[in-house]
Amino acid sequence: MSNLFEHKGAKGQGYSQPAPILPESSISLPPSLARKNHARWPRLSEPEMVRHYTWLSKRNFGIDTGFYPLGSCTMKHNPRVNEVIAQLPGIADIHPHQPEHHIQGLLAIFHEMQYMLEVCSGMDQVTLQPVAGAQGEFTAVRCVQEYFRLRGESQRTKVIVPDSAHGTNPASAAVCGFEIVEIPSREDGRIDLDALRAVADETTAVMMITNPNTLGLFEPDIVEASAIVHDVGGQMYYDGANFNAILGITSPGLMGFDAVHFNLHKTFSQPHGGGGPGSGPIGVKSHLAEFLPGPLVKKRPPLGDESQMAIDDMWYGWYQPTRSIGKVQQWHGNAGAVIRCWAYYRRYGRGLRTMSEHAVLNANYLRHAIHKATKEAGVDSMVRDGAEAKVAKHEFTLSLQPAKESHGISAMDVAKGLLDKGYMAPTVYFPLVVPECMMVEPTETESKETLDTFATHFAEVLQVDAETLHAAPITTPVRRVDEVYAARNLCLRHPYDDE
Amino acid sequence: MLAAMGMSSIEDLFEDIPAEVRMTEALPLPPPQSEEEILADARRLLGANVALGDRVSFLGAGLYRNYVPASVFQLVTRGEFLTAYTPYQPEVSQGMLQAMWEFQTLISELVGLPVANLSLYDGSTAAAEALTCSVRVHNRKATQKDTVYVSELTPPDRLSVMYNYCQGADITINLLRHHSDGTLDLDAVSAAVGSCGVYVEQPNPLGILDGGLSELKEILGENTALIVAVQPVSLGLVEAPGHYGADIVVGEGQPLGSPITGGGPIYGIFACSKAYLRLMPGRIVGRSIDVDGKVAYCLTLSTREQHIRRHRATSNICTNETLIALMGAMHMALLGPEGLHSLAVRNMTACLLAKQKLGEIGSIALPHSNNHHFNEFVIELPGSSQDCLAHLDTVGIVGGFDLSAWYPERKNWLLATFTDQTSAKQIELLVAHLAVWASAQGVSA
Repeated sequence: MSNLFEHKGAKGQGYSQPAPILPESSISLPPSLARKNHARWPRLSEPEMVRHYTWLSKRNFGIDTGFYPLGSCTMKHNPRVNEVIAQLPGIADIHPHQPEHHIQGLLAIFHEMQYMLEVCSGMDQVTLQPVAGAQGEFTAVRCVQEYFRLRGESQRTKVIVPDSAHGTNPASAAVCGFEIVEIPSREDGRIDLDALRAVADETTAVMMITNPNTLGLFEPDIVEASAIVHDVGGQMYYDGANFNAILGITSPGLMGFDAVHFNLHKTFSQPHGGGGPGSGPIGVKSHLAEFLPGPLVKKRPPLGDESQMAIDDMWYGWYQPTRSIGKVQQWHGNAGAVIRCWAYYRRYGRGLRTMSEHAVLNANYLRHAIHKATKEAGVDSMVRDGAEAKVAKHEFTLSLQPAKESHGISAMDVAKGLLDKGYMAPTVYFPLVVPECMMVEPTETESKETLDTFATHFAEVLQVDAETLHAAPITTPVRRVDEVYAARNLCLRHPYDDE
Repeated sequence: MLAAMGMSSIEDLFEDIPAEVRMTEALPLPPPQSEEEILADARRLLGANVALGDRVSFLGAGLYRNYVPASVFQLVTRGEFLTAYTPYQPEVSQGMLQAMWEFQTLISELVGLPVANLSLYDGSTAAAEALTCSVRVHNRKATQKDTVYVSELTPPDRLSVMYNYCQGADITINLLRHHSDGTLDLDAVSAAVGSCGVYVEQPNPLGILDGGLSELKEILGENTALIVAVQPVSLGLVEAPGHYGADIVVGEGQPLGSPITGGGPIYGIFACSKAYLRLMPGRIVGRSIDVDGKVAYCLTLSTREQHIRRHRATSNICTNETLIALMGAMHMALLGPEGLHSLAVRNMTACLLAKQKLGEIGSIALPHSNNHHFNEFVIELPGSSQDCLAHLDTVGIVGGFDLSAWYPERKNWLLATFTDQTSAKQIELLVAHLAVWASAQGVSA
């Protein structure tokens, strides 16, 4: 049962369907419309299908399997009550075109999420429509683009990003049609204000920054950076991928940002599903609010009959921003993801700060524990911090450059060695500014025991000889996969016998 | 933990955040809740919504309440799938990688094209990305540079997504005319020759199956991409666009495997011919081997993507809809070819019966009834659809979609949807209440 397409069972189905409402013979499609040949799909009984996907699941690693310190991705525990809530018919069986009086409860939750994200980010208006972080970036930059067009500042054709930025930042700005200006980071990984001053001018539309940055470090000069961009008339964009570090402590609004996206799936624990779905709401200051994609949710006291259906004496309704850029997803975004994240937020409420404190505590403790463990094992000379910093935020970087030079052991080798220890490997080779980079993010939902054990295992991996590590992993369902072979011998679908 | 680090307070961990940007007050939010309290609140709030299953519903217009088999929900919540992320470490991600490679094959076979990615956000973003992809591929040879043509019936919300994605590349979107019977005006399509791409839907947004679309590729020729959006279930009966020359097929994957969920998360289908492969958006899984020569899967052609190519990437997409696509794969695996055919027959005959029964009401008209329909069709009412829907709502019927939201001049057009979940009894109920409402309109008029 190694491949779905090897199931060639008898004609029939894996689940039974009722008879059609009229006989099939009542359908008379002309040759220009009728399908001639069935899709060559496999035929599986339900038990065969269940076994196939159960077998596949056992060949996959999730947070439920073990520690998943994938930097930049915030792989925290996904509480199961959130899944129960998302299956309730009041969300699963809701159509986005239903009238407002059918969806008061959903709109109330949307409104609460808009408000929660506004107060946490210091923005004036949030839209929940973008469905992923990259789409949030795209949406916000589109809003800024229209803002400048309205002001007659179409000469602002450039978007500035640090060289340590997530790849989506320049990609999203490019989809909007902007030219990308990349500025080098300082030696210590922070924004280089001189480099920023050198490029910021009347052609600057936006600067996009992550803070804490992709090295997990808070940018101490962020207010100054905002001032430099604002002084030339540009806008400041906050990439919220690392929002998990700062809730209740500081906010993009306080740092001088004009727009921000949230990766709800990271900060508020929508399960990442092997690559998605996500949810990427954005928040903006008031001068950009009229450009947001609509509709947005607002509330007012109920009128007349509405009071019977009102939620806590409030009536919730949609409205369109006056100069909306239009839509970025056809419906109302990933409503099901927003509901799960609402449930996660409710667990903390006004105590969201504790969530960030624990995330930062765990990251710093793990960094400390790894240095301690590697020192005790006598392998501390093989690894160093990716950037100098007394404290990290919710994640930190390590450089395996010393191991590479002294032992020929790369960050990828260590990553594969960690797979053999039963962990998901940290993010490797990002950010690009750290040589042989390993980026580690434990999140707030891991225990001290898990962090201590991981640190010990990390040190053990560094004690393994290079030859053995090059051959790792050996305990996984398959061993090192040949990605070059995959690209050179493209096989993107099942090769049928006649192909 | 703090002591181990030589720290005395959690504040020590935040000393790098300047005082001037510190929040000085607690967040103005309610107190924390326990799991029980959150669940109770969720039940209260979401219970206040009208779930379509609690009514008799004829609302579709792009999202369709098909039955999703129980085993799909049971399997997709296995933690190994649910709580994983992008398979950057293929050795421990073979399950999802293989499932997505299989998904690519299932979609490829369904639509009749050799390549499929592992999902975009929804049908609208898949359509928008198809347009920009067509320009990347064809602009060099195009005589109408940076220009695409789109069916004028395209729902405005979908068209709006297209405009947002196309404007950055200075792509002009022109509209293609339709006849009054709802089919595409093939004579007008000659205007699109020499452009980069043409976008049509089958069935179209009015539920019409348009046989004329099979002639489009011949009109357009090799240098213009034919992009067809599909309702995937219809392909159990209706010809796969790849078999009549479509270069790119997109669509809302939702009817296969996913509840409608307020419009998301769902998943967008994107499939294409090999000529588009290296300029297409989204992730792709390839079959490879490991160091022992064992079959193994990994992400491939990543040099198109943002994490490698940055601003020169073919798309900015990173997080996609993998888990929902997995639900689609599971549903397809259970259906098999004959099951899909049966499902399509159930959807189409429900629509057919409704058309017959509603056609018997004298005071309403079915303006496009000479066509074959899948899932839905337009009912022209003797009064506004807004009034009609409000009336039906009072008797527990969600009567359909008010098409004046798409086409403002069509105040009396109602789009009513019939799926495998529609029973003959429900159709009778709709007919009875519509007839009563319609005749009352006649009296007052």
